[in-house]
Formats: sequence, C-alpha cells, structure tokens
Amino acid sequence: MTLVPVTYKGGIYQHDIVTDLIEDLGGYVVQKHVLAQEVVLQCFVPRDDIELIREISRPLFGEVTDSPLVGTEIAVVSMSLEIHHLPHPSCDIAEYVRRIGAKSNMVSLARGPGKRIAGLNDEERDVINEHDTAVYLMGNFETCIEHKMPILLRGIEVPVVVCGGPDKETLIRIVDPPVEGYVGGVGRFMRRTKEADQLDKLDEIIAEITRVLEKKREDIAKDPLSVSPARLMNLIRERVPAILEVTSPTPLTVQLAGLRVKLPYDTFAPELRAMEIEDGITLGDVAAIEPSRMRDYILVKVLPFSETNTVI
Amino acid sequence: MLAVEYFEVECPEPVGAEYYKQITNDVLLDHNLLKVIEKLHIYIDPKVPVFIAVGILKPITNVVRVGDIANVNPLEGKMTLVITEETYLASMLKIFWERFGKDRVEQPDRFTVVLYNVPVAAKEIEEIVIGHPSESLNRDLIYAFRCVAPEGFRLRSERFEKGKFSFVASENTLVENIDELVKAKFALMGETP
Repeated sequence: MTLVPVTYKGGIYQHDIVTDLIEDLGGYVVQKHVLAQEVVLQCFVPRDDIELIREISRPLFGEVTDSPLVGTEIAVVSMSLEIHHLPHPSCDIAEYVRRIGAKSNMVSLARGPGKRIAGLNDEERDVINEHDTAVYLMGNFETCIEHKMPILLRGIEVPVVVCGGPDKETLIRIVDPPVEGYVGGVGRFMRRTKEADQLDKLDEIIAEITRVLEKKREDIAKDPLSVSPARLMNLIRERVPAILEVTSPTPLTVQLAGLRVKLPYDTFAPELRAMEIEDGITLGDVAAIEPSRMRDYILVKVLPFSETNTVI
Repeated sequence: MLAVEYFEVECPEPVGAEYYKQITNDVLLDHNLLKVIEKLHIYIDPKVPVFIAVGILKPITNVVRVGDIANVNPLEGKMTLVITEETYLASMLKIFWERFGKDRVEQPDRFTVVLYNVPVAAKEIEEIVIGHPSESLNRDLIYAFRCVAPEGFRLRSERFEKGKFSFVASENTLVENIDELVKAKFALMGETP
C-alpha cells in the first residue's frame, strides 16, 4: 500500500466522516486546522483510495488536492532577522511553503550577512541538519554568494536549495560545493510578493523543493523505514497524553524519516523509548531517540529496515 | 522614481544594479522620501566591498502650523479643534500643555481637542508652529540608506550638509581616499560635494 500526501479542504460539518474514513483506509491525518467554518486536513492516504475519499466527501463539498510537501519539515535559512531580509522575502517563502503542507521553520544566522564576515556556528549547523531540506535565501551579488557559500555549507548534510539574485546558470556555476537545487532571480527584495511573476518565482521554489524531496523519498524507499513516522505520530498521541497539553501549533512534527516531539528530552525520552508499538517491539528498537538542538525537544530518527530487520 | 530628476545605480554586476535600483525605489517610497530627493547616485562594488550613496535634496523650508492639521472652532469660553492629520498631534498637545496648562486642554476623542478659557484668539492658535519636517529628515534618510545598503556593510560614514548628502558603508575599514570617490560620484551628477 503506497501512501501519498494530500490536503483535504471542506466544511466543518460532518468532517469527522472524512477523518474516520482516512483512518479506516489505513491513512494518517498529520495536521488538522479548523478555520471558522472550514477544516483543512493534511494527510497521508492510500493512492488507490483517493477517488473513494473524493466520492464520499462530495456531498460535504470537500476537495482533495495533491500536496507533495505534507509530512516534511523545511528550514528556511535567512541570513539575519533584520529588516533587510524580513518580512520579504524570508517570510513570504516560509509562508508559501507552509500553504503546500510543509512545516517550515525559519533559521536565521547570527553572522549570516556580509561577504568576509559571514559564518555558520555549530548550533545553526545542527538545527539545519535536523530538517528534511534547507532553503538558503541569498542576496543579489554573485561575488558575495560565491565567497560565502562554502562557509555556509560547511557540515550541512541535508539537501540544500539555494535561492539568489543571479540567474540559475550563474548560481550553478558559482556555488561550491554544488547543492541539490537552484532558483535564480530570487535575491533580496523589499516588496511583498503579490504580482503574477513574483508568485511564479515562489512556485518555482516549491517545484525545486518538491524535486529535491522526491529524490530523498526515493532514496528512503530503497531501504524502507522500520515504521512510518505518520503512524508513530498517532501512536505517541495515544500513548503519551502529555503531548496533548503542548500548546505549540504542531506538537508532533512529521519528517520524511523521523519525528520531532515537542516534549522535554530528559523527562520523556525514557518513556518514548519504552513505548510498545506492536508485538513487544518498542520504539527504542526501531528508532534512535535523540535530544534536539531546537529548545529541549526530542528528535525521533526512525532506523531503516537494513539496521533493524523489522518493518511494522 | 518619477519625482527624482537623476537616479542611477552603478555596479560592476548589471543584475545586482537592477535589483538595487528596485530596492532603493521601494525603500524610499515606503519611507515617503522620494519627494525630498532631487538627485541620487548609488555606487556598489561587492568586490571591494563598498556602498556609496550621494545626492542632492530639494529645499524644505516650510513648517507645520496648527491651522495646517486642524480646524479651529471658537465657541463661548472654549475652542474645539477638529484634527484632520494625526502626525503632529502629539507635539501639538505638548505645546498646548506647556502654554496653557493641562487643566485647560482636553482630548475627548482621537480627532478632537478642546481648549477651555484660553486667553488667545483662534487666529493666534492657528499660527502656532508645531513641527519642523526638515529636522527629522537627515535621521530618516540615514535609516533608509541603512535599509538599502547590504546588511553586512556595517562600517559607515555619513555626511549631511547644505542640502547635499553622502552615505558610505563597507564591511571593511573605509579606505582613506573615500572622499575622492564621493567627489567623483558627485561629479557624475554634475555637482560638487
């Protein structure tokens, strides 16, 4: 059974029919937003059953659309938190990515701006590495991008998409070491992205991120995970009631190959490790439970089949 | 940039120059400064690195008076001011408090100020000067150019005098012959610093 990421949008009336259906079909609801009279579900559903969901939700005026970024966590790396980079373009891009279903975090560097003075410290590096992919928002000058990229990419292990002012060909030529994705013509600007050509650029960024993540998904599929992160999310929600008290918008953030649990590591890590998934197999058997560099959260890294010899 | 007589961005990278022209336009428009600039020349060299902005300001001599932002309606023993523009409201109230005392000045709502038993005529009230727009202009311009200049360029040298200004910023220590460069940029606009 192949699960595909989709977004369901519909009225709040009787939306539990859809939620129950998704769960009965073996799918998972990753995020649920209730906005006034509307409900938005970001979920994984079996590919063959999408038509069935469409049919059943038709009387409720529900709409099912593909959302390739559901279940991913993306770092939008901004060079600083100054007026030069915020709210445009950093927030515009972070927000646009969020609309397509991803969970985006903005990572702002302490010494990001400049050419000679730019740097990346170990905390920033580790936080970026905790994500599925990183989108680097660079400036307008190729001299600066060429000079600082090797420093900003030092120690980064996740796929990177670089956005910058020069065109795509120039970016491919100057960025060293090479990265997975490039989007040209999106450097520093100080106006809201609302015109058609600017929105096209945002779509181009989404397309590039999607391409990079699809490749990562394919790599994971070659050596499948011992347990699906979306399934783990539901299990943790059932077995660890403390997660229901967390006020963060996404207390459990699903990633491609793991899960961020927004509970203190020291208190809850032993409980999570001992949590039984099925037939006596505990979470500690199939995943590495590590402290996150982001606050004192817990990072659950699901191990692949080749390491655990189990798939549940 | 219709209001500016001369506006150029000079940069060895043509794509970068184009972006910075747009950024300068957006920032100056946001800060409402386009109407005070007559000529502006920006030079950026990311290789050095250096950012230079030189320009000429339009003369601003006018002051803002109470009559410009409010209608004064005298009525037996009290005077009602209906405010049309809030920008200088705070400084106006401050002047009224100092001159007439807080017990004689009342602001029942956002757009109304009432003066009780003040010993001056309505005409005189209208003539009270409450703001000098040119005073804050230099500060606003420096802030705007800090937004325009690349963020890493933190070493700055600004000069604002006699309607002319120069703003130089760099990541490294500013070189000693920077004045000559500024002079050359002024010459491009047909001016002298």
